[in-house]
Amino acid sequence: MNKFLSTTCLAACSGVLILGMTVSSASANEWPTDDIRLVVPYAPGGTTDVLSRRVADLLQQELDTNVIVENRPGAGSTVGTGRLARGGRDAGHTILMASPGHTIGAAIYPDLSYDPVEDFVFLQNMIDIPNVMVVPASSPYESVIEFVEAAQEENMTFSHSGVGSSIHMSGELFKTLTDTNMTAVPFAGSGAALPALLGGDVDVSFENMPTVLSHIRSGDLRALAVTSAERSEYLPDVPTLAEIGEHNLDQFITTAWFGLIAHNSFSEEAQSVMQEALAKVMEREEFLDFAEQLGAEPGQVSGEEFKQFIIAEVERWDGVAQQAGISQ
Amino acid sequence: MENFSEVIAIFFSLDNFIAIALGVVIGVVVGSIPGLTATMAVALALPFTFSMQPVAAILLLVGIYKGGMYGGSITAILIRTPGSPASACTLLDGYPMAQQGHAKKALKTALYSSVIADFISNIALIFFAAYLAKIALNFGAPEFFWLICFSLTIIISLASGSMIKGLMAALLGILLSLVGLDEVFGSQRFTFGNYNLMDSISFIPLLIGLFAIPEIIEFYRKKALPHIKAKASGAGLAFSELKRCMTTIVRGSLIGVIIGAIPGTGATAAAFISYSDARRRSPNKANFGKGEVEGVAAAEAGNNGVAGATMIPLLSLGIPGDVITAIILGAFMVHGLTPGPIMFQENLSLIYALFMGIMFSSVVLLLVGNVAIKYFSLIADIPKSILFPIVLMFCVYGAYAVNNDTFDVWLMLAFGVLGYIFNRAAIPAAPFLIGFILGPMFEDNLRRSLLIGHNDLSIFVRGPITWAFIALTVGSIGLALYRFISARREARNIADKA
Amino acid sequence: MTRAYVKRRIKDVSDVIAGSILLCFSLALVFYLVPNYINEPPILQNPMMSPRWLPGIVGWMIVLFSILLILQGFLLDRSGEDDERQIEKGSTRRFILMVAALLIYVALFEAMGAVFTGILATLILFVAHPVRTWWAYSLAFVFPIAVTFLFVKVMNVPLPISPIGF
Repeated sequence: MNKFLSTTCLAACSGVLILGMTVSSASANEWPTDDIRLVVPYAPGGTTDVLSRRVADLLQQELDTNVIVENRPGAGSTVGTGRLARGGRDAGHTILMASPGHTIGAAIYPDLSYDPVEDFVFLQNMIDIPNVMVVPASSPYESVIEFVEAAQEENMTFSHSGVGSSIHMSGELFKTLTDTNMTAVPFAGSGAALPALLGGDVDVSFENMPTVLSHIRSGDLRALAVTSAERSEYLPDVPTLAEIGEHNLDQFITTAWFGLIAHNSFSEEAQSVMQEALAKVMEREEFLDFAEQLGAEPGQVSGEEFKQFIIAEVERWDGVAQQAGISQ
Repeated sequence: MENFSEVIAIFFSLDNFIAIALGVVIGVVVGSIPGLTATMAVALALPFTFSMQPVAAILLLVGIYKGGMYGGSITAILIRTPGSPASACTLLDGYPMAQQGHAKKALKTALYSSVIADFISNIALIFFAAYLAKIALNFGAPEFFWLICFSLTIIISLASGSMIKGLMAALLGILLSLVGLDEVFGSQRFTFGNYNLMDSISFIPLLIGLFAIPEIIEFYRKKALPHIKAKASGAGLAFSELKRCMTTIVRGSLIGVIIGAIPGTGATAAAFISYSDARRRSPNKANFGKGEVEGVAAAEAGNNGVAGATMIPLLSLGIPGDVITAIILGAFMVHGLTPGPIMFQENLSLIYALFMGIMFSSVVLLLVGNVAIKYFSLIADIPKSILFPIVLMFCVYGAYAVNNDTFDVWLMLAFGVLGYIFNRAAIPAAPFLIGFILGPMFEDNLRRSLLIGHNDLSIFVRGPITWAFIALTVGSIGLALYRFISARREARNIADKA
Repeated sequence: MTRAYVKRRIKDVSDVIAGSILLCFSLALVFYLVPNYINEPPILQNPMMSPRWLPGIVGWMIVLFSILLILQGFLLDRSGEDDERQIEKGSTRRFILMVAALLIYVALFEAMGAVFTGILATLILFVAHPVRTWWAYSLAFVFPIAVTFLFVKVMNVPLPISPIGF
């Protein structure tokens, strides 16, 4: 309920704001004056890519201009983001779909050529996907507490989809907070990691919700907790880690978020036009259906709030990366 | 089947047929352009499927996938430029055949073996999905490790000419594959602070550079020869030749099916394993690599056998085996379907309609492929002085398009020079490629096994699958040694007599 | 030491040269590149886990095989198989024009756009051979434009566009 109120409030406020703006500058040549480029800092086919193409499709209808998706993958998302940070003549019409890689990348990659906070303006967080702490069906552990107690005694393994992914960092965060013995086992993507989990080769994982939801429902995996602040409507019986309360887990709130950012030279006008359009996109039936398919919640924060969120995330992952010895 | 009529109703809609046909055509065309891969085409087509019916949407993507698998072989054969990584193996014999004036025969062989392999793969998907999925789930890191070890032994059989040079090429390939971020610790290896190298060396520029560019360099270094206007496209494939290749094709398809059912191995490895297996068994062993029909058939059967089988872990477990199936998984989810055991209970008629569509796509591939050959084989008649500059342009555009970065164009040229040096020093490029593909898999699975087993080495012999692959690996090395020694002895005998 | 003398002692010169280059490279790899360009994490439970392990092994194996390659060059006569490697060299002008075309691609691709560099390099290569069919030169314009259009507009794959706008 709370969430719903804040979203509508936000949408309404920005709506009013934009209304005023458009009336005042109706005759002038309004932004956008050119095609908009949506940069995806990952290869085609991933969640970021699929989401971006969906958003581009809807945004195109709202803004009545072409929105062209461009993949610029490399080194976490830092290659594509680094290019955006450099600005250039297209920067006024370029947006980028950022994700946890944006804040984690700052912690992991040395000599990053940009500042993940100051070089950008933050438009809108589009969706939040919770991670789920899952164990194989054959695992003896029925609850988080049982698992933590066992992991304090013996060495456990957790699978992840690549160094610096939100799945990896969630595992490292869990390890740090609960002071347990856990070893990270890397896989090339969630697709490769899943069989190891299903087959019981690894003890636990902090996978993205959409990857494991069907396996939880079919009983092949057991969900011990979700990592979001509130319980997920897809798994209403599964507690949040923060709910557990013990072992410092009340600090464990993290989601895989996906949000749009732009270069800090992005004009005020463009920001407000964009935010208004995005708010409309997020109310569309197609968008909500899509989010539901991903097991995701529509994003909550935009503008300044989004920025504050990013600042907090950068700080947190920096600490976790240093603890885990993966910052170079 | 109780709901047979429902299946028919879902399948027999015009949309589905258009989707399949369109998909295969797009796949063949895109797959044949160097640098534009089937993966890219599937990803780009995805947004268009949002508004389609679920079956038509999936079939469009599957059609592109299958068309792309075949399309890659066209340019591999005609201009030594593999359109997709999986067709790199096809050019080993396909290009020499085209050079000898048998372009059409090579293309036909590739098409027929692709279609047959595709068909076998589909049958496996429909009838043995549950069984194969179970095998796939038992394939953990240690099993993978031994599979890779076994696959590495095929380098020995591909090292035509000098064994030392073949192994050397493989080692260099492994070394280059290690450039980038380490998978376990995230430490940088040989990146020299360059961001472009952090995600390791891109495969497509390497592939184009290694095979296509040396041909071009060679052409401009050599003395200009007048273009002989021969009927270069040549005759088609005789039925007797196809019959001769049949066992190879079937065996290659089965290899493809098994490799495809295991998530994360990929069509490229399947093609090479099938190729080396065919070479080992063939009476024309000496002709492999010089334009052997069976070589083309084996390579194409191997990589197309994978296509249907990668759908097995996807549909029955919800696990995507490669990037393309990951995108197809995305398409399922967009339409509110979640592949996995539950889908077989809830949407059985939809799955059967999909199966019918996938079967039908093999037929479409045959038709589209035949038309494609008719026009593409004309490329073989174009004088090289006109063809090669245009090929180079495609190579540059394609290399750039992979990551939208000029760095990859540099990389492609660097590998072109390396490939040229390899040619001059008679170092075979195929083992280099295998090393490059398998190197990281070898290391990752070794370390993954150690992590899972808490540094206990007994994990490497934990079950029958590992034992089987250890036996195969040892047997394969033993056989190679035996052949090597007996060949030496024979050579000495001949020398003594002389 | 005359050339002929060297030739007599060494059975396969190119193998010896290739082996020596690879030997130098692999020694540099093992003793310089691996220790300096791969960071090793401070705590390691198993030496096989180290990021330096496989590069080191591969490096030493290259050392071994390059020595074998040099020995093979000295001992094994493979001149019979060498014939394939001999080529009749063409004119230097041809070769230099080809190199120029390649350099145009890498140097100007980003700055001048795909269409411009494509046309220029293709024309140079046509002149290098030289292509005498006059209409073929139109292909040097048609292809870069058509392919760029295909990539950018149809496939939505971006290629660099020159500041002039094509």
